Amino acid sequence: MSIPTPSRVNLTRRGLFAAGAVVGGSALLSGCLGSGNTPATGGSNANVSLTLQSSLSDPKPKAALEQVVKGYTKYPTTLNTVAIEQFRAQLSTYLTSANPPDVLTWYAGSVARDYASKGLLLDLSDMWSGDGACAKFSPALKSLSSDSSGKQIFVPTNYYWWSVFYRKSAFAEWGVKAPTTWDEFMALCETLKGKGISPLTNGTGSTAWMASGWFDYLDLRINGAAFHRELLAGKHSFDSAEVRKVMDTYATLIPYFDPKGRSYTWQEAATPLVNKKAAMYLIGAFVTTAFPAADVDDVDFFSVPPINPSVPSAEEAPTDGYFASASTKNVGAVKDLLGYLASAKEQQAYIEASGSSNLPTSPDVNSSGFSPLVQKGMKLLQDTKEITQFFNRDSSDALQATADAALTKFLDHPGDVATILKDWQAAAQKVWGS
Amino acid sequence: MSVTDLTADRGATRGPADRPSGGRRRRLSRRVSPVVWLLLLIPFVVEAAWVFWPAFNSFQLSFTKWNGVGAAQPVGLRNYTDMLSDPIFATALRNNVFWVVGFGGLSVVAGLGLALALNKPRRGVGIYRSAIYLPMVFSLAVTGLFWRVMYQPDGPVNIMLAAIGINTGEHQWLADPNTALGAILVAAIWRQAGYIMVLYLAGLKGCDPALEEAAAVDGANAWQRFRYIVMPQLRNVNTVIFAVTVIDSLRTFDIVWAMTRGGPYNTTQLLSTYMYQVGFTLVNLGYGSALAVVIFLLAIAFIITYLARATRED
Repeated sequence: MSIPTPSRVNLTRRGLFAAGAVVGGSALLSGCLGSGNTPATGGSNANVSLTLQSSLSDPKPKAALEQVVKGYTKYPTTLNTVAIEQFRAQLSTYLTSANPPDVLTWYAGSVARDYASKGLLLDLSDMWSGDGACAKFSPALKSLSSDSSGKQIFVPTNYYWWSVFYRKSAFAEWGVKAPTTWDEFMALCETLKGKGISPLTNGTGSTAWMASGWFDYLDLRINGAAFHRELLAGKHSFDSAEVRKVMDTYATLIPYFDPKGRSYTWQEAATPLVNKKAAMYLIGAFVTTAFPAADVDDVDFFSVPPINPSVPSAEEAPTDGYFASASTKNVGAVKDLLGYLASAKEQQAYIEASGSSNLPTSPDVNSSGFSPLVQKGMKLLQDTKEITQFFNRDSSDALQATADAALTKFLDHPGDVATILKDWQAAAQKVWGS
Repeated sequence: MSVTDLTADRGATRGPADRPSGGRRRRLSRRVSPVVWLLLLIPFVVEAAWVFWPAFNSFQLSFTKWNGVGAAQPVGLRNYTDMLSDPIFATALRNNVFWVVGFGGLSVVAGLGLALALNKPRRGVGIYRSAIYLPMVFSLAVTGLFWRVMYQPDGPVNIMLAAIGINTGEHQWLADPNTALGAILVAAIWRQAGYIMVLYLAGLKGCDPALEEAAAVDGANAWQRFRYIVMPQLRNVNTVIFAVTVIDSLRTFDIVWAMTRGGPYNTTQLLSTYMYQVGFTLVNLGYGSALAVVIFLLAIAFIITYLARATRED
């Protein structure tokens, strides 16, 4: 009895496949419980290569970063762009894996600090002193990029500001001008509503986090940045007199919002603003990407007017940049790449190619070529006393989820504010307690 | 009962004349058995590595608190006790019951109705059949995005309702907690009904028209013919459709995620979307795994009771 040769070959191939499945499967799954990882062999120092894991998955920023990385020739660098939702979910896995990406894009502030406290981020302090690439960045950025022990663990490369955006030509048509006090602002809303225009637009449908924009700003204007940071860190209750005051002010704005915004995303909510059906939009400077290129020059903004004169001025300026894995095998090369990305030339190249209204963090960037809008944004952030980021960046994504539920419910049922704040505090307590 | 037992039994009942062939069969099956084992082993290993092992890990994780960094801390049953006092979990569970009943019931009723209406060959019936089946070619995520546009306050749904005299006042279907889940259900059934229709059409093709004619001659009316002649012949199709529908409705995720992400304020969360949010957006993997275990237990309970009943009937 003889087995024909082909089938023997087949058997061997199948056997190999089965063995491969077992080995491959167990290797992949050994990371599943986050323990007992063995460091991968290889990775010789002779030919250093770097991996940059990026969450910039929108087409323009993605292309811009690709272009910048292509210009880096000192060490071969592989850029992996991952859709942001997936990046967020897997960031912990990236950082704890046996062979982590060397450099990763992410946010400054509490998220980076959280990873640093677990010893997952590379100490970059030497880049922030002497003639390091970040040495000339502003003190506010330095403190934002520091962990709780005072070490710098983040390289910020660009940031943007939040404000109330409007169209200059629309305001001219309606014969109104940007307000400078809260009373003027409320009067403006009333005037516009009388003309049949939605004074405010907002996209709180599937981007429910947009509802936190007004919450953050009203808290900053009424209770101040210090209280706001402490509130988000769990040192105050959402069911407190201070937050109640914020909500009461928020309630006075509700009649001025375009009610259709409850069904919109932030992008869809920009359409009424572009079409002059709505007048004002509290949003980040990224809103300019929603305007047709020809109309971008028509966009202007004003800062949310002061409410309580005794609190120092504050603006939201979410800061983006890079951190590096603590277990990278090529510390020198990683810092070299970060220095390149943080350099004035590459910051400028990235900002211009990405088509955003983001601001450079390096003071050496020649800003004379920037649009008047961006220059005005830079001035706003230079002049303000306090900088916060945004609700989720100053706390956590888990706390943001509680805010989304509470604030969208509040926008629908402002009368139920007492129960809503109580439920919010209970949900937040769970987040802080876990 | 193994393969060899089966052949042995058959050989025994067939009588002496068939013995030689039965014996050869037995020898044959013995000879190829290493290959059979190997062929069984490959899918088993793949299944074990890619399904059972991760599922086992998920069970383990559900007794821990883990955010993906460092070692998971064991917390015993706390994730499960937390669930009992979690208002979002309660909403999601309620919504899931609504979904299984609504999605399962309505898509089967609609699919069966369409199949009966389009069963008889008529001019142009093929066009109707393909048109109704067409939504099935879109993924659920695409269906969700498409219906999100339909449901916009100034979108086609409100415009059409206004055209036939129903003024909804730019009703926000997806932003109103009272209508959001129902609106998603309509979109899901729009896609599923065509699929169920095709399954029933195939089943109806297998029905013997002579039986129906005979019943008509005997004086049975249309309802009686359907209930006592056609339905019993569709039993096998019903089994398939029940299993498909229950599984589809318990794993529904994409269409809800694409349309509302569980909002407004968590009123359209299903267990699956809540599990995804907890596990992957908030990276609370312990609690997320506990939710996944609950979904698994619900699905398995449904399927096992159903299969037990179905096999008993056979």
